[in-house]
Amino acid sequence: MNFSFRRKRISGILAVVPAQERFFIEEMKNFNFPETRSLKLKEVMGFDKHRLVEPGVCVSDLAVFGFEHLFNKGLLRPDDLDALILVTQSPDHFIPPTSNIIQGRLKLKPDTFCLDINQGCSGFVIGLIQAFLLLEQESVRKVAVVNADVLSRKTSPKDRNSFPLIGDAASIAIVERDAEASIIHANLKMDGTRNEILMIPAGGFRLPSTPETAVLNDVGDNNLRARDHLRMDGSAVFNFVQVEVPPLIEALLSQASVPMNAVDYFFCHQPNRFMLQKLADKMQIPYAKMPSNVVENFGNSSGVTIPTVITFNMKERLLKEKLKVCLAGFGVGLTWCAMLLDLGFFDFNNIIEYK
Amino acid sequence: MGFIQAQGSFFKNEARDRRSSGCSNDANMKCIFRNKRINAILSVVPAQQSRFDDERSNYNLTEEKAGRMKKMMGLDRHRVAPPGVCSSDLCVYGLQQLLNEGTLKKEEIGALLFVSQTPDYYLPPTSNVIQGRLGLGHDVICLDLNQGCAGFVIGLMQAFMLLDMMDAGKVVLLNGDTASKLVDKHNRVTYPLIGDAGSVTVIERCAEENAIHLCLKMDGSRHRALIVPGGAFRLPSSPETLKLAEAEEGVVQSLEQIHMDGAAVFNFTLEDVPPQIEEVLSYSGNSKESIDYFLFHQPNQFILKQMADKMKIPQEKLPNNIVGIYGNSSSVSIPVNITHNCGKQLRNGALRVCLSGFGVGLTWSSMVMNLGPLATCQTVDYEAA
Amino acid sequence: MTSMNRPEFYQRLAEILDVEEVKAEDRLKNFDEWDSLSVLSVLAMADSKYGVAIRAEEIRSVVTAADLAGLVEAKQE
Repeated sequence: MNFSFRRKRISGILAVVPAQERFFIEEMKNFNFPETRSLKLKEVMGFDKHRLVEPGVCVSDLAVFGFEHLFNKGLLRPDDLDALILVTQSPDHFIPPTSNIIQGRLKLKPDTFCLDINQGCSGFVIGLIQAFLLLEQESVRKVAVVNADVLSRKTSPKDRNSFPLIGDAASIAIVERDAEASIIHANLKMDGTRNEILMIPAGGFRLPSTPETAVLNDVGDNNLRARDHLRMDGSAVFNFVQVEVPPLIEALLSQASVPMNAVDYFFCHQPNRFMLQKLADKMQIPYAKMPSNVVENFGNSSGVTIPTVITFNMKERLLKEKLKVCLAGFGVGLTWCAMLLDLGFFDFNNIIEYK
Repeated sequence: MGFIQAQGSFFKNEARDRRSSGCSNDANMKCIFRNKRINAILSVVPAQQSRFDDERSNYNLTEEKAGRMKKMMGLDRHRVAPPGVCSSDLCVYGLQQLLNEGTLKKEEIGALLFVSQTPDYYLPPTSNVIQGRLGLGHDVICLDLNQGCAGFVIGLMQAFMLLDMMDAGKVVLLNGDTASKLVDKHNRVTYPLIGDAGSVTVIERCAEENAIHLCLKMDGSRHRALIVPGGAFRLPSSPETLKLAEAEEGVVQSLEQIHMDGAAVFNFTLEDVPPQIEEVLSYSGNSKESIDYFLFHQPNQFILKQMADKMKIPQEKLPNNIVGIYGNSSSVSIPVNITHNCGKQLRNGALRVCLSGFGVGLTWSSMVMNLGPLATCQTVDYEAA
Repeated sequence: MTSMNRPEFYQRLAEILDVEEVKAEDRLKNFDEWDSLSVLSVLAMADSKYGVAIRAEEIRSVVTAADLAGLVEAKQE
């Protein structure tokens, strides 16, 4: 489905990552593989270190920390927020919505519209679309799009397919009206028939968690996982991305009448460096224009990877300049989406550490 | 000395506003939606019904107390999903029925919203699972929203906003909850009132203005009044969280079940909702007399009667019977209220209604609209395939 | 709101508790019917007849019928 949006802009992005770095070299000993083979994988895939939360830390903690930073620095006023969208797959509770918990902890005003949306890898683009929808309402002038996940807590440390890649983080993007903003184009597709490619089998209501669902099993490739754990079919995801994402981006650019070389940067979801470089190759985009360095520094934090790749790579540039960018999210659902917009003249664009 | 630094020092000195709870005097979020209409509502309830009288022996209650509770809360029977049946199953059943009978065609579906507190998985989103089960196209926008008692009104709001952005297609709003899975059979305060259900609402654009007015408020500082403490990320599932304990007289619950502060929720409903009803009536240029029905979320008969008295609305205009027939099915209680009480009228004509969903969050949201005539407006039993 | 008519208050409380009479010094917990349903009825009565809202914690802290009347009275001011 195609969308276009007018008179809206992002005015700042803040990413929040756990302070503690964990290193692949140390975690290697948990895997059922010889060290030499793991080191080879490290080189090919680009693993090095990632950021994981301490036990018990939840998405509301990361989000509240980020908001308090913005309030304390005078970059945002609590009463200016008309809506708070939380996009997460790892809520504090099933009931109540975590966005309401954040609202309560921050003492936001009672006409703040709070909404929890369940999305992952495409969650930044979907969160932005939601913000743009809300900003069409007269009563909404400023929206906070919060992406946050703590999926390391549902990833098996003995699963070499997933554990080295995973990261925890949160981001806050402030979205508001701007009469001068250029048009924003977006394209979104979903295929629920392939939904099992990225899943956590137990813990929801289809298969509630029990002591049995916590038992680690060898899933046939020397990796150990429980049904409570995240399960990713790496090669299916790779194929999906290679086949579906390039035509979507091409269709989006064509719809917007913008040639590929007019795009300054492609800020994509960050599954791992290897996959992104292959995607860049396929689309003949120079690596410099499609940064892929988030997993090796922070890990793949699901919907937060796009805000992370922006804040980590652009830093102060987005305070002073304006760039034409294409965002691309792809993954859980399966969902794949892209958004073409100008980013720039931000009030803030940085990463802070959660302690 | 840049622009940002100057801005920073201006805001730093400003004292942060501390708001107290009990927000009746503060403004509502207000929206008007135009050129949208609901075309069909189908409620799906588990076929098996259980009677309060048959379940009485599960509760630690004297005959007399049981009778008193039955009378006060308006209890009689309720519908609970059998093991293995999820909210999504109830919704898929309903959607499949609408597709089978031709009320809706697959190609017409532009977006699928799944509003629930009891999703199939943490990931993938249940709306995508449903998309896959029904073979819906790749251009359908699927979204999972977490909401409870206010979930029908908020789902409608989302549908209206999406329709403004979509080039073509209708929005299918699915509300589904199997809250019975979050309550112990022996919990005499909550179990008798609980219900499971799913609903399918089809929303589309229309030429007529058909203005719909919404007022909404949320108070997260009171979120603990209705909470499931364990089972998700704050307090992950463990043998400890599954243990049942008696919190107080007759309230048997584990940490992975609904903990409700009955008095706090009662006070909230009586204090915060009536002013919002006044507000939405005034906002939409209506009076109590010009509204045909007040179709509210259905927590229990007692509170609904209190609300009707307080707002001076005749009981006939504010149905309160759903708990006693189906149970309280969270966000689905409004659709079930509509299809059960007004089904025939809405199939044959239009009614001016005031909807109000209030509860978990805490959230309270009220909407005034002209509803009907509807192509479908009925309640059906879920039959497992 | 006029100052409370205590006898009328105790009579209303007696109806909720399904007894003939409630006296000022009666301990609420001693009544058979003093349970979560009665608490809700008291909250409803406080709202509809006296225009005040009583919190759950406040109800838990009263001991006698007189305490309860006093609580409602204090809120009317």
